[in-house]
Amino acid sequence: MTGWHLDDDMLRRYAGRTDSLAEGASAEQHLLSCGPCRARVGAAASVTGRSVIDFAAVWDRTRDAVEVPRPSVFERLLRGAGLPAAEARLVAVASAFRGVWLAGVAAVLVFAALAAAFGHARGVWLFLSVAPVAPCLVVAAGYDPRMDPALEPELVTPYPVLRLVLLRTVAVLALALPAVLLFGLVVPGETAFAWLLPAVGFVAVVLAASTWVSPLRAAIAVSSAWLGVVWLLAARSGSPDAVLQGRAQAGFLALAAASFSIFLLRRRRLRQLRPWR
Amino acid sequence: MDSGPGDEVLLLAVAERDMGAFRTLYERHAGWLAVRLARRCNDRDLVADAVQDTFVAVWQKPRGFRGDGDIAAWLWGIAIRRLVSRLRARGGVVAVLESAGVAPAAEDQVLLSVEYGDIGQALARLSPEMRAVIQAVVLDGLTAREAAHLLHVPVSSVKTRLYRARAHLRAALAEGPS
Repeated sequence: MTGWHLDDDMLRRYAGRTDSLAEGASAEQHLLSCGPCRARVGAAASVTGRSVIDFAAVWDRTRDAVEVPRPSVFERLLRGAGLPAAEARLVAVASAFRGVWLAGVAAVLVFAALAAAFGHARGVWLFLSVAPVAPCLVVAAGYDPRMDPALEPELVTPYPVLRLVLLRTVAVLALALPAVLLFGLVVPGETAFAWLLPAVGFVAVVLAASTWVSPLRAAIAVSSAWLGVVWLLAARSGSPDAVLQGRAQAGFLALAAASFSIFLLRRRRLRQLRPWR
Repeated sequence: MDSGPGDEVLLLAVAERDMGAFRTLYERHAGWLAVRLARRCNDRDLVADAVQDTFVAVWQKPRGFRGDGDIAAWLWGIAIRRLVSRLRARGGVVAVLESAGVAPAAEDQVLLSVEYGDIGQALARLSPEMRAVIQAVVLDGLTAREAAHLLHVPVSSVKTRLYRARAHLRAALAEGPS
Protein backbone atom coordinates (compact mmCIF):
# COMPACT_ATOMS: atom_id res chain seq x y z
CA MET A 1 0.00 0.00 0.00
CA THR A 2 1.34 3.41 -0.85
CA GLY A 3 1.32 6.34 1.54
CA TRP A 4 -1.01 8.17 -0.81
CA HIS A 5 -4.65 8.55 0.19
CA LEU A 6 -7.68 10.45 -0.96
CA ASP A 7 -7.69 13.83 0.71
CA ASP A 8 -10.89 15.26 2.12
CA ASP A 9 -11.44 17.47 -0.87
CA MET A 10 -11.20 14.63 -3.34
CA LEU A 11 -13.44 12.56 -1.12
CA ARG A 12 -16.06 15.28 -1.11
CA ARG A 13 -15.87 15.69 -4.88
CA TYR A 14 -16.02 11.95 -5.39
CA ALA A 15 -19.08 11.43 -3.21
CA GLY A 16 -20.71 14.56 -4.64
CA ARG A 17 -19.92 13.48 -8.20
CA THR A 18 -18.30 16.81 -9.03
CA ASP A 19 -14.99 15.30 -10.04
CA SER A 20 -13.77 14.67 -13.55
CA LEU A 21 -13.70 11.28 -15.18
CA ALA A 22 -9.96 10.91 -14.78
CA GLU A 23 -10.00 11.94 -11.14
CA GLY A 24 -12.95 9.68 -10.39
CA ALA A 25 -11.28 6.77 -12.12
CA SER A 26 -8.09 7.21 -10.16
CA ALA A 27 -10.05 7.50 -6.91
CA GLU A 28 -11.90 4.29 -7.70
CA GLN A 29 -8.73 2.47 -8.55
CA HIS A 30 -7.26 3.55 -5.24
CA LEU A 31 -10.40 2.56 -3.34
CA LEU A 32 -10.18 -1.01 -4.56
CA SER A 33 -6.91 -1.52 -2.72
CA CYS A 34 -7.28 0.79 0.26
CA GLY A 35 -9.51 -0.24 3.16
CA PRO A 36 -9.15 2.97 5.18
CA CYS A 37 -10.21 5.17 2.24
CA ARG A 38 -13.15 2.83 1.53
CA ALA A 39 -14.22 3.23 5.13
CA ARG A 40 -14.04 7.02 4.78
CA VAL A 41 -16.17 6.95 1.64
CA GLY A 42 -18.60 4.64 3.39
CA ALA A 43 -18.78 6.95 6.37
CA ALA A 44 -19.39 9.93 4.09
CA ALA A 45 -22.14 7.96 2.37
CA SER A 46 -24.07 7.12 5.50
CA VAL A 47 -24.26 10.54 7.13
CA THR A 48 -27.75 10.70 8.55
CA GLY A 49 -30.10 12.86 6.56
CA ARG A 50 -28.39 12.56 3.19
CA SER A 51 -27.45 8.93 3.17
CA VAL A 52 -27.02 7.45 -0.31
CA ILE A 53 -29.31 4.56 0.52
CA ASP A 54 -30.93 3.36 3.73
CA PHE A 55 -28.18 0.97 4.82
CA ALA A 56 -30.07 -0.39 7.81
CA ALA A 57 -33.12 -1.22 5.68
CA VAL A 58 -30.99 -2.81 2.96
CA TRP A 59 -29.23 -4.90 5.60
CA ASP A 60 -32.58 -6.11 6.95
CA ARG A 61 -33.73 -7.08 3.48
CA THR A 62 -30.45 -8.79 2.72
CA ARG A 63 -30.59 -10.80 5.94
CA ASP A 64 -34.20 -11.78 5.28
CA ALA A 65 -33.30 -12.83 1.76
CA VAL A 66 -30.46 -15.11 2.85
CA GLU A 67 -32.34 -16.61 5.78
CA VAL A 68 -35.21 -17.81 3.61
CA PRO A 69 -34.28 -21.18 2.12
CA ARG A 70 -33.43 -20.94 -1.54
CA PRO A 71 -36.23 -21.94 -3.87
CA SER A 72 -35.69 -25.21 -5.68
CA VAL A 73 -34.43 -25.29 -9.24
CA PHE A 74 -37.92 -26.18 -10.41
CA GLU A 75 -39.48 -23.30 -8.53
CA ARG A 76 -37.00 -20.86 -10.00
CA LEU A 77 -37.79 -22.28 -13.43
CA LEU A 78 -41.49 -21.63 -12.87
CA ARG A 79 -40.77 -18.08 -11.75
CA GLY A 80 -38.62 -17.60 -14.78
CA ALA A 81 -41.62 -18.65 -16.86
CA GLY A 82 -43.50 -15.71 -15.38
CA LEU A 83 -45.42 -17.33 -12.53
CA PRO A 84 -45.73 -15.13 -9.41
CA ALA A 85 -43.50 -16.27 -6.56
CA ALA A 86 -46.35 -17.45 -4.31
CA GLU A 87 -47.91 -19.59 -7.02
CA ALA A 88 -44.58 -21.01 -8.05
CA ARG A 89 -44.16 -22.16 -4.45
CA LEU A 90 -47.64 -23.73 -4.42
CA VAL A 91 -47.01 -25.62 -7.61
CA ALA A 92 -43.53 -26.71 -6.72
CA VAL A 93 -44.33 -28.18 -3.29
CA ALA A 94 -46.38 -30.94 -4.89
CA SER A 95 -44.98 -34.25 -3.78
CA ALA A 96 -44.81 -35.37 -7.38
CA PHE A 97 -41.85 -33.09 -7.74
CA ARG A 98 -39.97 -34.53 -4.86
CA GLY A 99 -37.53 -36.43 -6.95
CA VAL A 100 -38.46 -39.87 -5.69
CA TRP A 101 -41.66 -39.87 -7.62
CA LEU A 102 -40.18 -38.71 -10.85
CA ALA A 103 -37.29 -41.10 -10.46
CA GLY A 104 -39.69 -44.00 -9.99
CA VAL A 105 -41.74 -43.14 -13.02
CA ALA A 106 -38.59 -42.61 -15.06
CA ALA A 107 -37.24 -45.99 -13.99
CA VAL A 108 -40.40 -47.80 -15.09
CA LEU A 109 -40.27 -46.01 -18.43
CA VAL A 110 -36.61 -46.84 -18.91
CA PHE A 111 -37.31 -50.53 -18.41
CA ALA A 112 -40.22 -50.44 -20.79
CA ALA A 113 -38.30 -48.51 -23.42
CA LEU A 114 -35.30 -50.80 -23.12
CA ALA A 115 -37.47 -53.88 -23.47
CA ALA A 116 -39.04 -52.36 -26.57
CA ALA A 117 -35.69 -51.32 -27.99
CA PHE A 118 -34.41 -54.87 -27.83
CA GLY A 119 -37.02 -55.74 -30.35
CA HIS A 120 -39.21 -58.03 -28.30
CA ALA A 121 -42.76 -57.81 -29.45
CA ARG A 122 -43.66 -58.06 -25.79
CA GLY A 123 -41.35 -55.15 -25.05
CA VAL A 124 -43.30 -52.93 -27.39
CA TRP A 125 -46.49 -54.00 -25.66
CA LEU A 126 -44.94 -53.23 -22.33
CA PHE A 127 -43.96 -49.76 -23.44
CA LEU A 128 -47.38 -49.18 -24.90
CA SER A 129 -49.07 -50.19 -21.69
CA VAL A 130 -46.87 -48.09 -19.41
CA ALA A 131 -46.15 -44.90 -21.33
CA PRO A 132 -49.74 -43.63 -21.78
CA VAL A 133 -50.68 -44.03 -18.11
CA ALA A 134 -47.48 -42.68 -16.60
CA PRO A 135 -48.42 -38.99 -17.06
CA CYS A 136 -51.87 -39.38 -15.53
CA LEU A 137 -50.48 -41.24 -12.51
CA VAL A 138 -47.95 -38.47 -11.92
CA VAL A 139 -50.60 -35.80 -12.39
CA ALA A 140 -52.90 -37.51 -9.89
CA ALA A 141 -50.05 -37.75 -7.41
CA GLY A 142 -49.48 -34.06 -8.04
CA TYR A 143 -52.72 -33.03 -6.37
CA ASP A 144 -54.07 -35.91 -4.39
CA PRO A 145 -54.40 -34.74 -0.78
CA ARG A 146 -53.30 -38.11 0.53
CA MET A 147 -50.05 -37.91 -1.40
CA ASP A 148 -49.35 -34.38 -0.36
CA PRO A 149 -49.89 -33.30 3.26
CA ALA A 150 -48.82 -29.79 2.24
CA LEU A 151 -51.98 -29.56 0.16
CA GLU A 152 -54.32 -29.44 3.13
CA PRO A 153 -53.56 -25.91 4.29
CA GLU A 154 -53.60 -24.84 0.67
CA LEU A 155 -57.08 -26.20 0.15
CA VAL A 156 -58.57 -24.38 3.12
CA THR A 157 -57.18 -21.07 1.91
CA PRO A 158 -59.47 -19.17 -0.44
CA TYR A 159 -57.10 -19.93 -3.28
CA PRO A 160 -59.02 -21.22 -6.31
CA VAL A 161 -58.60 -24.99 -6.29
CA LEU A 162 -59.23 -25.20 -10.01
CA ARG A 163 -56.31 -22.95 -10.72
CA LEU A 164 -54.08 -24.90 -8.42
CA VAL A 165 -54.99 -28.24 -9.95
CA LEU A 166 -54.56 -26.97 -13.49
CA LEU A 167 -51.26 -25.27 -12.72
CA ARG A 168 -49.92 -28.42 -11.17
CA THR A 169 -51.18 -30.53 -14.03
CA VAL A 170 -49.52 -28.33 -16.60
CA ALA A 171 -46.32 -28.27 -14.58
CA VAL A 172 -46.29 -32.05 -14.21
CA LEU A 173 -46.93 -32.56 -17.89
CA ALA A 174 -44.18 -30.11 -18.74
CA LEU A 175 -41.84 -32.32 -16.77
CA ALA A 176 -43.22 -35.75 -17.59
CA LEU A 177 -44.02 -35.48 -21.28
CA PRO A 178 -40.51 -34.56 -22.47
CA ALA A 179 -39.13 -37.43 -20.40
CA VAL A 180 -41.56 -39.93 -21.87
CA LEU A 181 -40.94 -38.51 -25.33
CA LEU A 182 -37.23 -39.01 -24.87
CA PHE A 183 -37.68 -42.65 -23.94
CA GLY A 184 -40.09 -43.00 -26.84
CA LEU A 185 -37.22 -42.22 -29.18
CA VAL A 186 -35.54 -45.44 -28.13
CA VAL A 187 -38.55 -47.49 -29.14
CA PRO A 188 -38.49 -48.64 -32.74
CA GLY A 189 -41.27 -47.91 -35.17
CA GLU A 190 -44.32 -45.74 -34.91
CA THR A 191 -45.11 -47.02 -31.45
CA ALA A 192 -42.78 -44.35 -30.17
CA PHE A 193 -45.41 -41.64 -30.29
CA ALA A 194 -48.60 -43.63 -30.38
CA TRP A 195 -49.06 -43.20 -26.65
CA LEU A 196 -49.15 -39.39 -26.84
CA LEU A 197 -52.86 -38.92 -27.50
CA PRO A 198 -53.92 -41.70 -25.14
CA ALA A 199 -51.77 -40.06 -22.46
CA VAL A 200 -53.47 -36.69 -22.94
CA GLY A 201 -56.86 -38.41 -22.93
CA PHE A 202 -56.12 -40.24 -19.68
CA VAL A 203 -54.93 -37.11 -17.95
CA ALA A 204 -58.19 -35.41 -18.91
CA VAL A 205 -60.19 -38.42 -17.66
CA VAL A 206 -58.38 -38.30 -14.34
CA LEU A 207 -59.10 -34.59 -14.02
CA ALA A 208 -62.77 -35.17 -14.76
CA ALA A 209 -63.05 -38.21 -12.49
CA SER A 210 -61.44 -36.36 -9.63
CA THR A 211 -64.60 -34.30 -9.36
CA TRP A 212 -66.22 -37.51 -8.08
CA VAL A 213 -63.48 -39.57 -6.50
CA SER A 214 -59.96 -38.91 -5.30
CA PRO A 215 -57.49 -38.24 -8.12
CA LEU A 216 -55.28 -41.13 -7.23
CA ARG A 217 -58.17 -43.58 -7.25
CA ALA A 218 -59.22 -42.22 -10.63
CA ALA A 219 -55.73 -42.63 -12.02
CA ILE A 220 -55.45 -46.18 -10.76
CA ALA A 221 -58.82 -47.05 -12.26
CA VAL A 222 -57.86 -45.54 -15.62
CA SER A 223 -54.53 -47.35 -15.60
CA SER A 224 -56.15 -50.69 -14.80
CA ALA A 225 -58.66 -50.22 -17.58
CA TRP A 226 -55.91 -49.39 -20.03
CA LEU A 227 -53.85 -52.39 -18.95
CA GLY A 228 -56.95 -54.51 -19.51
CA VAL A 229 -57.38 -53.19 -23.01
CA VAL A 230 -53.75 -53.73 -23.90
CA TRP A 231 -53.88 -57.22 -22.42
CA LEU A 232 -56.95 -58.01 -24.47
CA LEU A 233 -55.36 -56.77 -27.68
CA ALA A 234 -52.19 -58.73 -27.01
CA ALA A 235 -54.14 -61.86 -26.14
CA ARG A 236 -55.97 -61.67 -29.41
CA SER A 237 -52.51 -61.47 -30.95
CA GLY A 238 -53.48 -58.26 -32.61
CA SER A 239 -50.53 -56.10 -33.52
CA PRO A 240 -49.71 -52.95 -31.53
CA ASP A 241 -50.82 -51.07 -34.63
CA ALA A 242 -54.41 -51.37 -33.46
CA VAL A 243 -53.91 -48.43 -31.10
CA LEU A 244 -52.15 -46.46 -33.79
CA GLN A 245 -54.93 -46.47 -36.31
CA GLY A 246 -56.47 -43.14 -37.10
CA ARG A 247 -59.81 -44.13 -35.67
CA ALA A 248 -58.41 -45.15 -32.31
CA GLN A 249 -56.34 -41.99 -32.11
CA ALA A 250 -59.35 -39.84 -32.97
CA GLY A 251 -61.20 -41.67 -30.24
CA PHE A 252 -58.58 -40.68 -27.71
CA LEU A 253 -58.79 -37.08 -28.85
CA ALA A 254 -62.56 -37.12 -28.39
CA LEU A 255 -62.10 -38.70 -24.98
CA ALA A 256 -59.71 -35.92 -23.98
CA ALA A 257 -62.07 -33.19 -25.19
CA ALA A 258 -65.13 -34.70 -23.52
CA SER A 259 -63.36 -35.33 -20.23
CA PHE A 260 -61.94 -31.88 -20.10
CA SER A 261 -65.37 -30.35 -20.71
CA ILE A 262 -66.81 -32.44 -17.88
CA PHE A 263 -63.95 -31.34 -15.67
CA LEU A 264 -64.64 -27.67 -16.38
CA LEU A 265 -68.38 -28.08 -15.91
CA ARG A 266 -67.97 -29.83 -12.58
CA ARG A 267 -65.04 -27.79 -11.34
CA ARG A 268 -66.91 -26.67 -8.23
CA ARG A 269 -66.98 -30.24 -7.05
CA LEU A 270 -63.20 -30.18 -6.82
CA ARG A 271 -63.80 -29.08 -3.27
CA GLN A 272 -64.25 -32.74 -2.59
CA LEU A 273 -60.52 -32.92 -2.74
CA ARG A 274 -60.69 -31.77 0.82
CA PRO A 275 -60.68 -35.16 2.42
CA TRP A 276 -62.70 -34.24 5.52
CA ARG A 277 -65.77 -33.24 3.59
CA MET B 1 -8.63 2.40 10.22
CA ASP B 2 -10.75 -0.39 11.60
CA SER B 3 -8.75 -3.35 12.67
CA GLY B 4 -10.36 -6.70 13.28
CA PRO B 5 -10.30 -9.69 10.97
CA GLY B 6 -9.35 -9.17 7.35
CA ASP B 7 -11.85 -9.56 4.52
CA GLU B 8 -10.53 -13.00 3.60
CA VAL B 9 -11.10 -14.23 7.15
CA LEU B 10 -14.61 -12.79 7.11
CA LEU B 11 -15.36 -14.42 3.80
CA LEU B 12 -14.25 -17.79 5.11
CA ALA B 13 -16.52 -17.30 8.11
CA VAL B 14 -19.39 -16.38 5.78
CA ALA B 15 -18.79 -19.63 3.94
CA GLU B 16 -19.34 -21.29 7.33
CA ARG B 17 -22.67 -19.45 7.54
CA ASP B 18 -21.50 -16.94 10.15
CA MET B 19 -24.09 -14.17 10.19
CA GLY B 20 -21.92 -11.93 12.38
CA ALA B 21 -19.07 -12.02 9.88
CA PHE B 22 -21.56 -11.36 7.10
CA ARG B 23 -22.82 -8.31 8.94
CA THR B 24 -19.28 -7.00 9.43
CA LEU B 25 -18.56 -7.52 5.75
CA TYR B 26 -21.71 -5.61 4.89
CA GLU B 27 -20.87 -2.74 7.19
CA ARG B 28 -17.38 -2.54 5.80
CA HIS B 29 -18.30 -2.58 2.11
CA ALA B 30 -21.90 -1.51 1.58
CA GLY B 31 -21.05 2.18 1.94
CA TRP B 32 -18.44 2.62 -0.74
CA LEU B 33 -20.22 0.18 -3.06
CA ALA B 34 -23.39 2.26 -2.81
CA VAL B 35 -21.49 5.48 -3.51
CA ARG B 36 -19.75 3.99 -6.49
CA LEU B 37 -22.98 2.49 -7.85
CA ALA B 38 -24.80 5.78 -7.33
CA ARG B 39 -22.26 7.37 -9.65
CA ARG B 40 -23.59 5.05 -12.37
CA CYS B 41 -27.28 5.17 -11.66
CA ASN B 42 -29.57 7.97 -10.55
CA ASP B 43 -32.21 5.72 -9.09
CA ARG B 44 -31.45 5.23 -5.39
CA ASP B 45 -33.90 2.34 -5.09
CA LEU B 46 -32.08 0.49 -7.83
CA VAL B 47 -28.76 1.13 -6.13
CA ALA B 48 -30.19 -0.24 -2.88
CA ASP B 49 -31.48 -3.31 -4.72
CA ALA B 50 -28.11 -3.85 -6.36
CA VAL B 51 -26.31 -3.63 -3.00
CA GLN B 52 -28.75 -6.14 -1.55
CA ASP B 53 -28.33 -8.49 -4.52
CA THR B 54 -24.56 -8.22 -4.20
CA PHE B 55 -24.50 -9.36 -0.60
CA VAL B 56 -27.08 -12.06 -1.20
CA ALA B 57 -24.79 -13.35 -3.97
CA VAL B 58 -21.82 -13.22 -1.60
CA TRP B 59 -23.76 -15.23 0.98
CA GLN B 60 -24.75 -17.82 -1.59
CA LYS B 61 -21.35 -18.18 -3.22
CA PRO B 62 -18.64 -16.96 -0.87
CA ARG B 63 -16.22 -19.32 -2.55
CA GLY B 64 -16.65 -17.45 -5.79
CA PHE B 65 -13.69 -15.41 -4.59
CA ARG B 66 -10.66 -17.29 -5.75
CA GLY B 67 -8.15 -15.52 -3.60
CA ASP B 68 -6.61 -13.47 -6.37
CA GLY B 69 -6.53 -9.71 -5.91
CA ASP B 70 -8.64 -7.66 -3.56
CA ILE B 71 -11.97 -8.74 -2.19
CA ALA B 72 -13.12 -5.18 -2.82
CA ALA B 73 -12.50 -5.61 -6.55
CA TRP B 74 -14.37 -8.90 -6.53
CA LEU B 75 -17.30 -7.27 -4.73
CA TRP B 76 -17.38 -4.42 -7.19
CA GLY B 77 -17.41 -6.87 -10.09
CA ILE B 78 -20.52 -8.48 -8.61
CA ALA B 79 -22.16 -5.18 -7.71
CA ILE B 80 -21.88 -3.53 -11.13
CA ARG B 81 -23.29 -6.61 -12.81
CA ARG B 82 -26.15 -6.81 -10.34
CA LEU B 83 -26.91 -3.19 -11.11
CA VAL B 84 -26.89 -3.93 -14.81
CA SER B 85 -29.25 -6.86 -14.42
CA ARG B 86 -31.57 -4.82 -12.20
CA LEU B 87 -31.59 -2.12 -14.87
CA ARG B 88 -32.31 -4.71 -17.49
CA ALA B 89 -35.21 -6.10 -15.47
CA ARG B 90 -36.78 -2.73 -14.83
CA GLY B 91 -35.93 -0.92 -18.03
CA GLY B 92 -36.63 2.71 -18.62
CA VAL B 93 -34.45 4.04 -15.82
CA VAL B 94 -31.90 6.40 -17.18
CA ALA B 95 -28.46 5.89 -15.75
CA VAL B 96 -26.18 8.78 -14.94
CA LEU B 97 -24.52 9.90 -18.08
CA GLU B 98 -22.34 12.54 -16.60
CA SER B 99 -21.40 13.83 -13.19
CA ALA B 100 -23.70 16.76 -12.46
CA GLY B 101 -22.27 18.60 -15.45
CA VAL B 102 -19.84 20.64 -13.40
CA ALA B 103 -16.73 21.56 -15.31
CA PRO B 104 -13.54 20.98 -13.36
CA ALA B 105 -12.15 24.15 -11.85
CA ALA B 106 -8.96 25.60 -13.29
CA GLU B 107 -6.83 24.37 -10.42
CA ASP B 108 -8.19 20.86 -10.86
CA GLN B 109 -7.21 21.00 -14.48
CA VAL B 110 -3.67 21.86 -13.48
CA LEU B 111 -3.70 19.07 -10.94
CA LEU B 112 -4.95 16.68 -13.57
CA SER B 113 -2.38 17.60 -16.12
CA VAL B 114 0.27 17.14 -13.48
CA GLU B 115 -1.14 13.85 -12.34
CA TYR B 116 -2.36 12.36 -15.54
CA GLY B 117 -0.56 14.29 -18.19
CA ASP B 118 -2.55 14.99 -21.30
CA ILE B 119 -4.94 12.15 -20.89
CA GLY B 120 -7.02 13.99 -18.30
CA GLN B 121 -7.62 16.88 -20.65
CA ALA B 122 -8.27 14.59 -23.55
CA LEU B 123 -10.87 12.75 -21.51
CA ALA B 124 -12.43 16.00 -20.37
CA ARG B 125 -13.00 17.01 -23.96
CA LEU B 126 -15.01 13.93 -24.79
CA SER B 127 -18.76 14.30 -25.02
CA PRO B 128 -20.71 13.01 -21.99
CA GLU B 129 -21.98 10.02 -23.98
CA MET B 130 -18.48 8.97 -24.94
CA ARG B 131 -17.21 9.43 -21.41
CA ALA B 132 -20.02 7.26 -20.11
CA VAL B 133 -19.05 4.52 -22.53
CA ILE B 134 -15.36 4.79 -21.65
CA GLN B 135 -16.26 4.59 -18.00
CA ALA B 136 -18.45 1.53 -18.42
CA VAL B 137 -16.25 -0.43 -20.78
CA VAL B 138 -12.70 0.65 -20.05
CA LEU B 139 -12.86 1.50 -16.35
CA ASP B 140 -15.59 -0.82 -15.11
CA GLY B 141 -14.64 -3.62 -17.44
CA LEU B 142 -18.17 -4.34 -18.62
CA THR B 143 -18.88 -6.05 -21.90
CA ALA B 144 -20.50 -4.02 -24.65
CA ARG B 145 -23.80 -5.73 -23.95
CA GLU B 146 -23.68 -4.97 -20.23
CA ALA B 147 -22.67 -1.38 -20.91
CA ALA B 148 -25.59 -1.08 -23.31
CA HIS B 149 -28.01 -2.10 -20.56
CA LEU B 150 -26.38 0.23 -18.05
CA LEU B 151 -26.49 3.22 -20.37
CA HIS B 152 -29.77 2.26 -21.94
CA VAL B 153 -28.56 2.45 -25.52
CA PRO B 154 -28.24 -0.22 -28.20
CA VAL B 155 -25.13 -2.40 -28.21
CA SER B 156 -24.17 -1.02 -31.60
CA SER B 157 -24.12 2.53 -30.17
CA VAL B 158 -21.80 1.43 -27.40
CA LYS B 159 -19.40 0.00 -29.94
CA THR B 160 -19.54 3.04 -32.20
CA ARG B 161 -19.09 5.46 -29.33
CA LEU B 162 -16.21 3.48 -27.94
CA TYR B 163 -14.56 3.43 -31.32
CA ARG B 164 -15.02 7.16 -31.78
CA ALA B 165 -13.88 7.91 -28.24
CA ARG B 166 -10.69 5.97 -28.82
CA ALA B 167 -10.08 7.79 -32.08
CA HIS B 168 -10.64 11.10 -30.30
CA LEU B 169 -8.25 10.26 -27.54
CA ARG B 170 -5.63 9.03 -29.96
CA ALA B 171 -5.88 12.22 -31.98
CA ALA B 172 -5.84 14.42 -28.89
CA LEU B 173 -2.79 12.68 -27.51
CA ALA B 174 -0.94 12.79 -30.81
CA GLU B 175 -1.69 16.48 -31.11
CA GLY B 176 -0.39 17.25 -27.63
CA PRO B 177 -1.93 19.65 -25.09
CA SER B 178 -3.52 22.69 -26.64
